[in-house]
Amino acid sequence: MSRRSAHRSPGVVRSIVATTLPAAAAILVFGSLYGAAARPLLGVPLTIASSLLIFSGALQFALIGLLGAAAGASALLLTAATLNLRHLVLGAVLRSRLAGSGRRRGALAFFLVDETFGFAIAAGDAAERAGRSGEREIERTLLVSGALCYVAWQLGTLIGLLGAEIPAVGEAAGVIFPVLFIGLAALACRMPSDVARALGAVALTAALAVTLPDLRALAPVVAGVLVALPGRAA
Amino acid sequence: MSPVVLAGIALITYASRAAALVFLRKPGGRFAAILGRMPAPIFASLATLSLVTADGSLARGPILWAALGALAASSTRSLPLCLVGGLAGYALGQALS
Repeated sequence: MSRRSAHRSPGVVRSIVATTLPAAAAILVFGSLYGAAARPLLGVPLTIASSLLIFSGALQFALIGLLGAAAGASALLLTAATLNLRHLVLGAVLRSRLAGSGRRRGALAFFLVDETFGFAIAAGDAAERAGRSGEREIERTLLVSGALCYVAWQLGTLIGLLGAEIPAVGEAAGVIFPVLFIGLAALACRMPSDVARALGAVALTAALAVTLPDLRALAPVVAGVLVALPGRAA
Repeated sequence: MSPVVLAGIALITYASRAAALVFLRKPGGRFAAILGRMPAPIFASLATLSLVTADGSLARGPILWAALGALAASSTRSLPLCLVGGLAGYALGQALS
């Protein structure tokens, strides 16, 4: 089997699915919590539409909180703009590793969330270490893991809307995210300076989250940029 | 929330995701180097955020134990092993609490 055909084998997709499944399961659980919380505030059609069109747990939970406090449209839009700022940075990091047409990248952009960003970067790094194209692997991983997380979020929303509960797994699902991001950080650390930058980001994020909790959603961007700035050009 | 506001939020969200991916020229030089250094700090920051609650306090004990388990396994640089380490830490935390 040639390297090219091996690269296209279903095994690659299965590997992405296997890597994504724990996060997708956690996303399903949080989707059910969102569906249950959103139903009385948005009604069934808008709850479904919000998950289909927005596909952002952090933003959708924030919107529910604002709606519960009777916030107006401008507050909702401003919150969306603020919470989404980090996508600009995540997109820029991915852009530096992606070619392809603008239309193709525009389609992939719909699946850009924290988790899929992490899986895509990790897959690109692994492919490059193995002498393959990181770009193709990043594209494929963003698409497959993005689709899986998207389906999980929609299913979870529907489960929550139907009033079904996934008992006693809320906290267990919450465990997945720190564990996942610690693992992704470890994978992304290729040299001691990366470890130092990661530790710097931890300190900055903790300080920001404790002192300015309203801005905690921006912490990954602020910390990521600040600790990445020092250093040589290449 | 009206359907129009929902559509506006969806548009803002998609635009934020697509802006850099679609319209940014492939970065080079110092900008590319900076972007290349960002994944590890971003992941570390996201991990930290998931360990600090919205009111600024630390997450519950078993979740912290899970993070410790994942950290202990992180030297393997294997995502599945970090997951196993995290779940083992969580189980230990549950047993201790």
